[in-house]
This record gives sequence, C-alpha cells and structure tokens, in this order.
Amino acid sequence: MSWMYDWWISLAKALGLPDSYQYAFVARGVVAVLLLAPLLGGLSHLVVARRLAFFSTTLGQAALTGLTIGVALGLPLDNAYASVLGFCLLIGVVMVYVRRTVALPPDTVIGVFMAFTLGLGVCVLVAATKQFNIHQIEAVMFGSVLTITDRDLLLLLIGGAILIVALALTYNTLLADSLSPSIAKARGVNTALVDYGFVVLLTIAITLSLKVIGALLVEAMVVVPAASARNLARDVRGYLGWSVAIAAIAGLAGLLISASWRVPTGGAIVLALTACFAISVPLGRLRR
Amino acid sequence: MSKPVTIDVANVTIRRGGRIAVDGATLQITQGTIHVLVGPNGAGKSTLLSAILGQIAFTGKVDMTFRGSGVIGFVPQTFVADRTLPITCAEFLALSRQKRPACFGITKPAAALIAKLLERVGLAGFEKRRIGELSGGELRRVLIANAIDPAPEVLLCDEPAAGLDPTAAEELDKLLLGLRDEHGTTIVLVSHDREQVKRIADRVTRLEITVKATGKPDEVPL
Repeated sequence: MSWMYDWWISLAKALGLPDSYQYAFVARGVVAVLLLAPLLGGLSHLVVARRLAFFSTTLGQAALTGLTIGVALGLPLDNAYASVLGFCLLIGVVMVYVRRTVALPPDTVIGVFMAFTLGLGVCVLVAATKQFNIHQIEAVMFGSVLTITDRDLLLLLIGGAILIVALALTYNTLLADSLSPSIAKARGVNTALVDYGFVVLLTIAITLSLKVIGALLVEAMVVVPAASARNLARDVRGYLGWSVAIAAIAGLAGLLISASWRVPTGGAIVLALTACFAISVPLGRLRR
Repeated sequence: MSKPVTIDVANVTIRRGGRIAVDGATLQITQGTIHVLVGPNGAGKSTLLSAILGQIAFTGKVDMTFRGSGVIGFVPQTFVADRTLPITCAEFLALSRQKRPACFGITKPAAALIAKLLERVGLAGFEKRRIGELSGGELRRVLIANAIDPAPEVLLCDEPAAGLDPTAAEELDKLLLGLRDEHGTTIVLVSHDREQVKRIADRVTRLEITVKATGKPDEVPL
C-alpha cells in the first residue's frame, strides 16, 4: 500500500497542507476513505431506495455486539472481523426472514431486533470488560484512523472490489425489485434471494467500514450520501454520482477535521455528511 | 376444436387478515383470449390475480401451461415505489432491457427500444421525465409499456384503464387486442369499466369472493 501513502503525502505537500496531514496514519485514513466512498456511496442510494436506513442502524449496533461477543470468546480486540461479520450476518438474515414472514410493519420488526442487539451487547460488554478496558472499543464505536492497519486496508481493497463487482452485476435487478417487487417477481426475479443477497452485501460493507466510521455512526455513511444526492439528482446516474461524490468529500473533510482537532473520525465524518445534506437542500431547490 | 387452457384455477381459497378474500374460486382461462374479472370492490379480483402470479399463499391449485416464451407481463394496480426516487421513465424501462447497470447509462439498442415502447403507449418523448413527476394515467402507461415487452405469453393487468383519459383507454384496448391477435397473448384483466369489458372481453368472470358466473360478456352481469 506504500504507493498510496506516497501519493497522498506528495498531494498534501503540493496542496500546502500542514505537516500533520502527512503522517502515515492520516495517509492510511485518506486511502481508506477513498476506498470506502464508491462502496458506501454506491450502496447508499440502494439502501435508501430499498428503505433500509433503520435496518442499517440495527446492523451497526449488531456489529458492536458481534465485537464484544468475539472478545468474550477470546478473539483479539483489533482483529475480530469474524465475530462481527458472523453476528451481523446472523442478525441481518433473521431480520429479513422475520420481516418477510410476519404481518407487521418492517420498522416494528427492525425495532425488535435493535432492542435485542442492544440488550445483548450491553450484557456481553459488561461480562467481557473483565478482559479489556472498555475505552479500547471506542475506536470501533466511533471510528478512528489511528487503529487502521495495512491489513485492514488490504481487506477493504479486496472486499470492496468484490462487493462493487457484485453490486454492478445485480444493480438492475436490485433497483427493479426496490421499485416494485410484484413486477420483478412476475418477470421471474427471485425476490427473496434479492432481499437476502442485498443484506449480505450490506453487512460485509458495514463490517469493512467499521474501523473508519464506527459501529454507531455507520448508518450515516449508508444513508446521508443518498439523502443528499436525492436533493440534487435528476436521474439514477446522477443519484449514484452524487452519492459517491458526497461520501468521498464528506469522508475526506471529516478525516481532516479529525486529524486537526483530535475528535473521533466517525463523528467528524458524520458532521461533514450532515453539512453536505444541509447544503443540498437549498441547492436542490435551485436546480428545480 | 376449442383452444387449450393456459391458466387453470382450481378451488382456490385465499385468507387475508383473518377473513376469506376468495373462496373456492375455479375458472379456466384459454390460450389467446382476453378474460376479464369483474365484481365490486373487495370481491377478491386483485387478490386472485396475485395468487395466479404466485405472490400470495392460497389453498387449491393454479396451473399455468406455457407453449411459447413463458414470459409473464404484469401491470399492478398500485406502484409502491417511492415517488421521490430520481429515476426517469427511460431508466425504469432500461432496468429489464439491458445488462449494463442503468446508473452507468442506457445502451443504444435499449434506448431505441424504449423510445418505441413509449411511443406505443402514447408517451413519445417521455424518456427523461421522472417517474415521480408523472400523472396517475401516465405512470400506468409506463407500467403497460414495461409489461408488453418482450411480447408476453401471459399478461395480467390489474385495472390498467384506471386513470386513463378516453383516448388513452381506446389506445390501450387496441394494444391489448393487438397482443392477443398478433402474438396470441393470453390476457387476464381486472376491470371496472363496463364499456371496456364489452369492447374487448372474450370471456368474463364475475367474482364476489366466490365465482358467481363465467361466460361471454353478454352472458355475465357486469
């Protein structure tokens, strides 16, 4: 990954940014954000189209619970991807199954699972804190560039590339199913497979992005870019373009704010995203 | 010689929300005909259509026998999509007409096909119009355009004429008759429009939870 760091450091010098922006951890954060932006921005507009914003929040909470379960089972705190991914996949798939099976509004079903993951997370957390300092998981809760390693970036690069290819191959089916499952089903689409498949993709993306954005704030990265893009876009092409651009701009801005003022990366990125949304509202009105 | 049966509905019962929506419905829809389901609101017409499509649970049996492409077209009564979603008519139609993700643009062959489809439903030049900006009648015509390509072997339409002005409704009739006559499409239609039923129906079934009557349009109370 060194060529990426070298690229950022030379860019930071060319832009006249202070020396603090040329540190290796900032360079790693920039690379992580640039890898995450097309992935989360691309996912973002499908999450909003499929009305899975609340669902994503619950997956973020489940990630935290998955982490504490992993630590309680003896996994190292900085390398608990297996337990996070495993627990999130379990919760995601069961949530889709229950949502498809019971005659209740989707947000009610998701609310039940959110309460469950929170309750379980708190109980396991208290039990697991005998093994580590609770402040150590702040990085996973709120995101931190300081804890990103080369291995995380490599995972993000490979996992992100696979997810983007999978999304591109299934994009038309996913969007058609979001617009009208009954028409999609009549055309031979297996809507159940689409439902479960998208949740698996979303879960993997959330797991990959945890170290940068944090479990509690990951929802913002998969909802706000699309919400802002919707104010600006006139068609699906623009919707995707704006979502990715806003994810990248807010990600980089949040990272630089975080490095300058020593605030959690996730929180800073969310603030930058919210600012983008605030700007998009009047801009969107002007464009109409 | 009588035409073969394409859709065989045998003793279908559907329960929804604790009540019986359709009770022991039995009917046969023959190949290459326009079969209209009539009846008051809440009679179970749309529900039966959903059962034929296999989208809801039911007891009894629905058999579809395909002799050609096996393509099913469907025009729903309601379109649940979020109308604030920025998607144009062309992009919506492109979703099932090209492999390239619609967010990366529309291919030339798909664009040409979409232009022809929109023209067929009287919406020439609507490619760049957003779905959310369409009137109810225009949206219905886009859904019809989506359902008729590729020419379906079976076309299920839930009140396709609702919201259409008289000229558009007449054009719709021509379109449906054309599909039946030129492609041998079997068409199942839910309709409240008595005049439309008289104009295009080959067979009519009156449904009021149970099947009350089936026959030619002049044999069934509309």
